[in-house]
Amino acid sequence: MTTTYEGMFLLDNQAVRADWCQAKAMVTDLLGKNGAKVLCARRWDERKLAYPIKGRTRGTYLLAYFEIAGTGLNGIRRDFELDERVLRYLLLKVDAIPAGEREKAAEEGADGYVVPPPPTDEAISPERAVFGDLADRPIQEHLRRNTPAEADAGDGAEAEVAEAAAAEES
Amino acid sequence: MAESRKPSPPIASRHCDDPKIDYKEVAYLQKFLTPQAQILSRKRSGFCTQCQRELKAAIKRARHMGLMAFVQ
Ligand SMILES: [Zn+2]
Repeated sequence: MTTTYEGMFLLDNQAVRADWCQAKAMVTDLLGKNGAKVLCARRWDERKLAYPIKGRTRGTYLLAYFEIAGTGLNGIRRDFELDERVLRYLLLKVDAIPAGEREKAAEEGADGYVVPPPPTDEAISPERAVFGDLADRPIQEHLRRNTPAEADAGDGAEAEVAEAAAAEES
Repeated sequence: MAESRKPSPPIASRHCDDPKIDYKEVAYLQKFLTPQAQILSRKRSGFCTQCQRELKAAIKRARHMGLMAFVQ
């Protein structure tokens, strides 16, 4: 019994700039190594990040769909946790690949298609320069914990504290 | 903000059987944030409990991926 997953991977632009195909293969190989069958994968976008992550202010998103049986997801999580070229990742169960997704991925693989290189990195964020790793998640989390969870306290039951883990669903 | 006590009308309507709210639709999700980037309450979003739950999950996913800010 296999399950289809959507995987979004935020890649370090440094790796993307060196070689997009190689950066993409790094992700699909890690998926394959853990027993997943990659159905399609493509560059979703290159963006300025809403907050600095691991000192990066921009990043490239890779969107992949894959099938995997049973408990293979744990190995995938472990591998992506350890790879410093992957700044963030998100795995979600999906019923089916969204319409048009395979076509877009195929377009990217076609001859003559050039993935635009990421713009040059912005200077390292000032927070990073001062606080190093502390500039990332811990401060974001600190601010989040000390900010009301809801704009309106009307829904008491829904005011639970967000967990980073809640962003992932297995 | 503080001077206005008028309840603002719900900003959106949604059918529960519409396709799931996608964390990748950042422009859509942005509409459900206060200027401080907090998620609007159910009263202000106009969503039912299930849809609000979906909305919150989507926004949290977008935040985790660096697509949306935690605070502004
Ligand atoms: Zn609903």
